[in-house]
Amino acid sequence: MNSMERFVSLMQGKLPDRVPVICNLLDQGAKELNMSIEEYYSKGENVAEGQIKLINKFGYDIAWGTFYIGYLAKILGSKKMIFSETGPPNVGNLIIKDYKDIEKLIIPDNLEENQNIIELVKCIKILKTEFEGKRHILSAVLSSFSLPSILMGMENYFNLIYTGPKDLLNLLLEKSSLYCEKLTHILRKSGVDFIAYISSLSTVDIITLKQFKELALPWIKKDIQRIGTADVVFFNGGGRINPTIDTLIKETGLMVYYINPKDSVKEAKQIIDGRALLIGTINDIGLLSWSKEEIESEVKRIMEEGSLGGGFIFGTLVMPYLIPEEKIKIMLEAAYKYGRY
Amino acid sequence: MLNEIIEEYYSSLFDTDYVGALAVIHNAKKEGVTPEEIVFEIVIPSIDRMLQSFLLNQEASISQHFLASKISEQIVDEMLPLFQQKTEKNGNIVLGTSFGDFHGLGRKIVSGCLRANLYNVIDLGLNVNPQKFIEEAINNDAQIIGISSMMVHSAVGENGCLKVKELLKEKKLTDKIKVIVGGAPYRFDKELYKKVDADGWAENAIQSIKLVGEIIEELK
Repeated sequence: MNSMERFVSLMQGKLPDRVPVICNLLDQGAKELNMSIEEYYSKGENVAEGQIKLINKFGYDIAWGTFYIGYLAKILGSKKMIFSETGPPNVGNLIIKDYKDIEKLIIPDNLEENQNIIELVKCIKILKTEFEGKRHILSAVLSSFSLPSILMGMENYFNLIYTGPKDLLNLLLEKSSLYCEKLTHILRKSGVDFIAYISSLSTVDIITLKQFKELALPWIKKDIQRIGTADVVFFNGGGRINPTIDTLIKETGLMVYYINPKDSVKEAKQIIDGRALLIGTINDIGLLSWSKEEIESEVKRIMEEGSLGGGFIFGTLVMPYLIPEEKIKIMLEAAYKYGRY
Repeated sequence: MLNEIIEEYYSSLFDTDYVGALAVIHNAKKEGVTPEEIVFEIVIPSIDRMLQSFLLNQEASISQHFLASKISEQIVDEMLPLFQQKTEKNGNIVLGTSFGDFHGLGRKIVSGCLRANLYNVIDLGLNVNPQKFIEEAINNDAQIIGISSMMVHSAVGENGCLKVKELLKEKKLTDKIKVIVGGAPYRFDKELYKKVDADGWAENAIQSIKLVGEIIEELK
């Protein structure tokens, strides 16, 4: 059974030969090509080649056809990205500096002609050709409720939410939702099989459950109405989502939930109760310091809690660039070994 | 009457009701509650009470911290000039986001909470190089340098806390100036602060008040 068959089997409600594994190695592609992270992300060909090398080296089950989160702001016109030698780029130029800029923000009709989109599409098409029939391609969009954080900064966005003019907040979220829809459409057209719908700002580490229901949920529903549910994975993006999963299943009909390492896998299984697929995650920041035994034991625990009864995928979250390659191998070998249903 | 105001204010603070919390305070002032009572009987104890609540349910969100910090700082800034006597600050703290990191929300929340607790905070902003932390700490007679990091590489990298501590050691200042850290990577690895040679870490802004208080007490 190959990686693609593994996912197909799982989606058909069957039990594949082992638990499929998603490993979020992104910036590490630069290391594979012996180039800086800035050079790596300058061309779609580079990213595709880096991802192919990573998959060939580590053997995990899905290919990431995406760049970095800040890239989504770059597509919309952010003029400066701050590159590091050892981690993901930061947005160095905020598109929305004051509330007036919200009205000026344009989501272009011809987004496909945007040079940054052209590079992203190039990457996806290379991956699609390389992995045809063997692996699915996963890409990412930001939820409308989350995108403003990289357009105007978290502090300004919070100020807009809690003390700013409601009409401008709604206008910004409407534009963000439109961007989410257009980008999803382009990604699908390029050959992406799954869309990670990243909803970092709606997690209960960022807002309260009450705010989730009142502020975030209406926009999540709007996004999902626009992009559909068939291939969409609800991705936590850095905070806990367990307390929101039941509502999300009932209100959106989404079928796959990618939880945070701080969410209990056991609890998520109970909440989902066979209604959707679960991607349980390891605390990959822990890989920086854990011993071989600690890594193996953590992978085993997650697999034991998640795999019972099927419907389970193993995943990582941020996979910091500084994790030694040896530790990544230990984690993945343990995942292949213990990932039995 | 004061107890009712305290309860009403705390409830608004907990529910992230910015407008409601400010209205409670402004009405209280109109009704004769003194600026000193507002700060020492309402604002500071409410932050402390939130900390206790967060510790009990483990459910606090960043938005609650953000609003609590913003509201508290704003009220204290408004009330301090109205005090009958000038108030001594509790200590001087230099805060900044680590070099190569452009995420400022966490630092801003900590800054507001500390200011509301009458600490003098020198906020150096984003992407602060290690030398700048040291210079500003010396120039402002700070007891504590606080370094916020959102990303793993900026937390553990060679231009983060490790370098700040190295420079303090070179200048033989480690007994006078302590370094504390905070931010997402430290929440995922609770021993990480030791690896970057920090003297302490706080899981959130409200806990940072307790940590800062303990360190300044030890340094006396």
